[in-house]
Amino acid sequence: MRHLIPEFEKMKARYPAGFESSLVLPCLRRIQDDRGFVADSDIDGLVAYLGVPRVQVEEVLSFYTQLRRKPIGRWHVQTCRNVSCSMRGAERLIDHLRKKLGVAPGETTADGRFTLSTVECLGSCGTAPVVMLNDAYHENMSAEKVDALLGGLE
Amino acid sequence: MPEIFIDGQAIQAEPDQTVLQAALANGIFIPYFCWHPHLSVHGNCRICVVEVEAKGGSWLDISCNMPVTEGMHVLTDSEEVRAQRKAILQFVTLNHPVDCGICDKAGECTLQDYHFAYNGSPSISRDAKVHATKFFDLSKRIVLDNERCILCSRCVRFTREISKSHALGIENRADHSLVRPAEDRRFDDDPYSDNVIDICPVGALLSKQFLYKARVWYLEPTPSVCPGCERGCAVQIWHRRPEWRLNALDPRQNAEIARVTPLENPAVNGPWICNKGRDLARIFERARAEQPMLKGKPVELAAAIDAARRLIDEARHAVALVSNWGSNEELAAFKQALAGRFAASFVKRDRQPEPGERIEDDFLIRADKNPNTAGARALFDDAPAALPDGADLVLVWGEGCDFGRLPRGAKTVFLGSYLAPENGHADVFIPVSIQTERRGSYTNFAGTVSPFEPCFAKKPSVADAETLFAALAQRERATA
Repeated sequence: MRHLIPEFEKMKARYPAGFESSLVLPCLRRIQDDRGFVADSDIDGLVAYLGVPRVQVEEVLSFYTQLRRKPIGRWHVQTCRNVSCSMRGAERLIDHLRKKLGVAPGETTADGRFTLSTVECLGSCGTAPVVMLNDAYHENMSAEKVDALLGGLE
Repeated sequence: MPEIFIDGQAIQAEPDQTVLQAALANGIFIPYFCWHPHLSVHGNCRICVVEVEAKGGSWLDISCNMPVTEGMHVLTDSEEVRAQRKAILQFVTLNHPVDCGICDKAGECTLQDYHFAYNGSPSISRDAKVHATKFFDLSKRIVLDNERCILCSRCVRFTREISKSHALGIENRADHSLVRPAEDRRFDDDPYSDNVIDICPVGALLSKQFLYKARVWYLEPTPSVCPGCERGCAVQIWHRRPEWRLNALDPRQNAEIARVTPLENPAVNGPWICNKGRDLARIFERARAEQPMLKGKPVELAAAIDAARRLIDEARHAVALVSNWGSNEELAAFKQALAGRFAASFVKRDRQPEPGERIEDDFLIRADKNPNTAGARALFDDAPAALPDGADLVLVWGEGCDFGRLPRGAKTVFLGSYLAPENGHADVFIPVSIQTERRGSYTNFAGTVSPFEPCFAKKPSVADAETLFAALAQRERATA
């Protein structure tokens, strides 16, 4: 993460002195954007850079399910399973993805291409069921549309 | 000074107090889990709820985070407050396993007390309880039961605000939140870690050394002083109550230290002690020397005292090394009865830091690992590197003396408490009682005198140093 420190320095200027712990979250997000996950060495580096106790970084990492401690597949398929999506067929969609990819939610395919996750509300109930592929929303999904979506991917 | 009214009673509060503090200071009890007098206000448990009465109506709010304001009216036991507390306790016990029958905290558990005082009814939830880790290995010394934990965060705040190890945190969120140690296991190295066991309001944090050892109602505490360093923290030594003494099962337990907890003393240690203070059994329950000896030959106590008295009488140049584990009373008895018979009396350092032990810090732990160096130095000089030549008798009181470095040819009288090779080499060996067997006081490095009480009886063949010195001081003619 050392190459990100110039960026962190710019962020730091936006916080009053003594509020280094407030930088934990934005720094972790930037690290994850960069590496795809937060490695143990990143935690050590961040602790050294910010001077915050390690446990506070660990707390933030475990609080937000969006932050990852392990690498995931090239394509992250996140399926909403909250009330609206479930009523519009999300559970069937998850079953379909499970069979199609051959992995359970939380797992990555053996070839390292796909990671399947289930998440709580993605805030798009009006277009349920919703699937997120990496950073993009795909709305009003069905088994066929998921097949078409994933079919064209590396 | 703002005047506030709690349950109609006028109270003069301090301007910087909260309602909870003002109430407690005036003998009005308000229950609390997460609030602790020595930790920051967290306000997560909500049990300290009170009703604030105002012109426009009344409202409920937590008293631990409510500053006093002039003329405010607060009710601590109104119908609304009681209903709220009951509801809060329903939530607190929602996933609590209620396994009091096997919980070490039962009998001194805040949750248990509050349940009986403010709730009293079984859970109204029809859902299955959420299970969590039962025996999480929090550190080398502490085991965590996550099902019993109510997430008050006292332990987390302790490591951040008091011990400064920042070793604990709360991971995940909502009903899968868990108290967890930092992954680098630094909680193992927090020398004050065991205090979190005391401040845990429920049976979530448990001492491995006390785990399933005793029900607390069979135990009683004796006020004492930790001899682990010259701080002299006030402690309570817990041991079996006499009325519950074991006869058939394992009578040794009657004379064993069950556990050690801090005794609040603002002048010395506040409400905390370090982990060494918890391990006093490792010091006091070493194999004891209980047999008086003359050059390794067992004799009666009276015969050993006679022999020692004769040696002191005959000596022309006697030197004494007094113990800085001796109480002020014992040291004064030595000074008064015997010091005149010795050419010189020096303070000996009985114990040195053990390998791996925290030597010193800026909180409680002091470098001198003896309890009464200040008390001994007030009466005697420090021991020189080498004792003066020509000494023909050395009286050694307590541990930590290298007998090989004593003047050659000098006779030795050794007053010791524990089994050691040198006991048998001394011309006279007299076993003496230890701190848990006698009353006395220590003076700590800052001059504070702290008393301790006996909790166990000494064996008849073991002498009390105070009476021993008086006996040794009698001239032979006087006893005849």
